[in-house]
Amino acid sequence: MPMTKREAMLKQLSTYQFAALDLQLYLDTHADDGRATEQMQRYKQQARTLRQQYEKLYGPLTKSSDDGNQWSWINGPWPWESEADN
Amino acid sequence: MFVYEKKLQYPVKIKTPNARLAKAIMSQLGGPDGELGAALRYLNQRYTMPAPELKAVLTDIGTEELNHVEMIGAILYQLTKDLTVDQIKAQGFDDYFVDHTTGVYPQSASGVPFTTAYIQSKGDAITDLHENLAAEQKARVTYDNILRLADDHDVKDAIRFLRAREVVHYQRFGEALRLLTDKMDAKNFYAFNPEFDKSCLVKNKRNRKA
Repeated sequence: MPMTKREAMLKQLSTYQFAALDLQLYLDTHADDGRATEQMQRYKQQARTLRQQYEKLYGPLTKSSDDGNQWSWINGPWPWESEADN
Repeated sequence: MFVYEKKLQYPVKIKTPNARLAKAIMSQLGGPDGELGAALRYLNQRYTMPAPELKAVLTDIGTEELNHVEMIGAILYQLTKDLTVDQIKAQGFDDYFVDHTTGVYPQSASGVPFTTAYIQSKGDAITDLHENLAAEQKARVTYDNILRLADDHDVKDAIRFLRAREVVHYQRFGEALRLLTDKMDAKNFYAFNPEFDKSCLVKNKRNRKA
């Protein structure tokens, strides 16, 4: 089962989100590390851009995201499913 | 408050169902050293922590553990999807099937339902951080054991990610412990409980200012 375009885009977004999360965790105990802070901001910025692109094409990722209609939140695939499930 | 994002932290794409493996992996959902226990442990310990860095670490790691709870749920769902009754019998899943069909239920590999008895929130920061260091090691070993049992490449990929995070969390808790003891009287860390005897922490001690 090769990755769909949607899954590939989500994986890219997840990569930047994860990089930011990992750094943010480090910064909880090293808040004065300026370089790490800057790097985290860069990852966050990348993630923000990718998320906007993803949501435009595939619908909201959170309840507070802008979305066209309630069905785009309700309808699948949900994170534990594949496209084929729907 | 908690905000849900409609995605997994790391992708789980399993092509081949395997109920026997699902039973083993179930321990990382509802077992003694699993992700659910970890999430509840850290999210409950954080309220009375005596320093803001500790509240941040416990909140952030506890939240990430909920991401991992979800990943394990996804793994279990995919491993038990579309099973036939013959497969269920052949893969030793009969006893689970009787009580839960192929639903996802937090229990250990040997069938013990999840219990809060697996965790502690002692209300003492030094003690709780030690509990957490041990918890991360126990989780790591559990993942090591799962990796020995699994043949499936897709399963092992997700499990390896989760295992790597345990090691990082262990590191973060070690740093949190050091940070805490730096703020305490080096002559006797055990003279006071920093969560209960508020005045014992060295006020405004700056550890890392240049």
